[in-house]
Amino acid sequence: MSARSSAMNSWLAVAFAVLALAAPFLLGDSRFLAFVLGMTLINVLWAGGMNLSYGYVGLMPLMFAGIGGIASYAMVHLTRVEGWSFWIATPVVSVGAALIGVLLGLPALRLKGFYFTLCSLVIQTVLTLAFIFFPKYTNGDTGISQIEPPDWIGGTRLSGVWLDFALAIAAVLGVAIVAWIVPSKLGQRFIAIREDDILAESLGINVTRYKIIAFFIVSLYAAVGGCFYAGYVGFISPRAFDVLVSLNVWLMVAFGGRGTIAGPVLGALVLAPIPYLLQDLQAIRDIIYGALIIVVILALPGGVYGEWLKRRARHRQATTDSGKLADQRT
Amino acid sequence: MTNMPLLETTALSKHFGGVSALRDVSVTLNQGETLGMIGPNGSGKTTFVNAVTGTLRADSGSIQFAGTRTLGFAPNQLAAIGLVRTYQAVRVFGGLSVEANIRTAGLLPGEAGISRSEYDELLTWLRLDGLPHKEAASLTLFEQRRLELMMRLVLRPKVIMLDEPVGGLAVTEVREMINLLAELKARCTIFVIEHTMRVIRELADRVVVLVSGEKIADGPPTEILRDSKVIEHYLGTAHA
Repeated sequence: MSARSSAMNSWLAVAFAVLALAAPFLLGDSRFLAFVLGMTLINVLWAGGMNLSYGYVGLMPLMFAGIGGIASYAMVHLTRVEGWSFWIATPVVSVGAALIGVLLGLPALRLKGFYFTLCSLVIQTVLTLAFIFFPKYTNGDTGISQIEPPDWIGGTRLSGVWLDFALAIAAVLGVAIVAWIVPSKLGQRFIAIREDDILAESLGINVTRYKIIAFFIVSLYAAVGGCFYAGYVGFISPRAFDVLVSLNVWLMVAFGGRGTIAGPVLGALVLAPIPYLLQDLQAIRDIIYGALIIVVILALPGGVYGEWLKRRARHRQATTDSGKLADQRT
Repeated sequence: MTNMPLLETTALSKHFGGVSALRDVSVTLNQGETLGMIGPNGSGKTTFVNAVTGTLRADSGSIQFAGTRTLGFAPNQLAAIGLVRTYQAVRVFGGLSVEANIRTAGLLPGEAGISRSEYDELLTWLRLDGLPHKEAASLTLFEQRRLELMMRLVLRPKVIMLDEPVGGLAVTEVREMINLLAELKARCTIFVIEHTMRVIRELADRVVVLVSGEKIADGPPTEILRDSKVIEHYLGTAHA
């Protein structure tokens, strides 16, 4: 990567972090806008995790939302019934849900591409059914309402601007961790598996092991996001963690640009608010959403940001080539 | 021969449904040797490499590599103990730069990797030193073949199995590749599948001939290439 583009990447990262952390205070006056922001930040976190899997390892895990659901229900159970703190329950259930995710995904992880996706879809369906058929923990289709926001020091509850701020920190950290993994040895192995898993294996990379590691990390993202979702929205039901949610998060990654750090952030920032902002256009909301998907897939298969990067690289190549020609002529 | 076998297969067999792709193939590869394998299309040469490098699991027989019984080892395990292979159709990480390709190859867990000076020396030797930031997919076939070698050599292999290393190359490039492989002989033990007899004649210390999954000859290239049985199978005169 050239010095110029990595400098630009750091600028983008700083700008995103500053904006995300400042936004709760800027939008705090309108509870509606603040809520849209909070939901967007949860989706930024989710898209970051999905990107690690879909963008860097090449696996599209459709049970993403289901794993978030397991963590979410477990967190709610532990905080309401067992009296745990949100801040202890969340890491515990997230690791637990990620382990369950890996166990459920184990047979699927030996598959690749489309077959993995199909298998993960089946697992997601089973999880959605499980949420409905174990009402003791999930209250079935009715869902669990009036979930309290995360507890805070001195017996208070984290709410309003400060809860938004906590979500912003989680989102920024989530993206930062992905940005830290990608250039590491671990990230390089992920990319090798995405590019050509057979070649990767012949070069000594244990493909299944690294898929499991990736899947564990992705599941952690799903789970942490699921816990924040419950604490933020205050209501969870099987619909909050069904396959459409997985697909939505996937779409943010594909729309923004899989396999780039900034792309999925952009995807979440653009797509996550749409359902809320277009509430008045309820009837045509899904049509607008669908049309957007088709346009991006046809016109920008690498995602908005991915395509922009590609064009810029091509443009730069063209200018250096003509520069070289000019040099040769003189 | 005073050399000890570094790689040895005993009665290796592999069936695909009713077709036996390998039938009791016993081959030894000695330390420092270059062993060629020839045979008509479909005779099981690539299947043999696949079976030895763990891409396919042989049905019966045994494989011994560097003193370890390796039947059932995965390709990554074999790479970690020094047995690597290249592919008939060149295989590099097309979307990554040359440098990233090599770095990715050198990521074996628990391996310290090669030193900077060894790395630079290999890069210069394979004439890849001007290309580190080029995307691998944009390289010429010959450059990709050299990159393939580089990606294996950073793993410090004991044995490298080459599946048609000059396939698809232009005549002048074949000459250059043969020169490179002749120098490679000093670096590691080589097993090479080739249809281009010049490669076998110039590089191989010994040749095995595979026909319909069976080994029909094993010996020095000068003898083997004159053997009437081999000529018959190779040129198809039996049915002419």
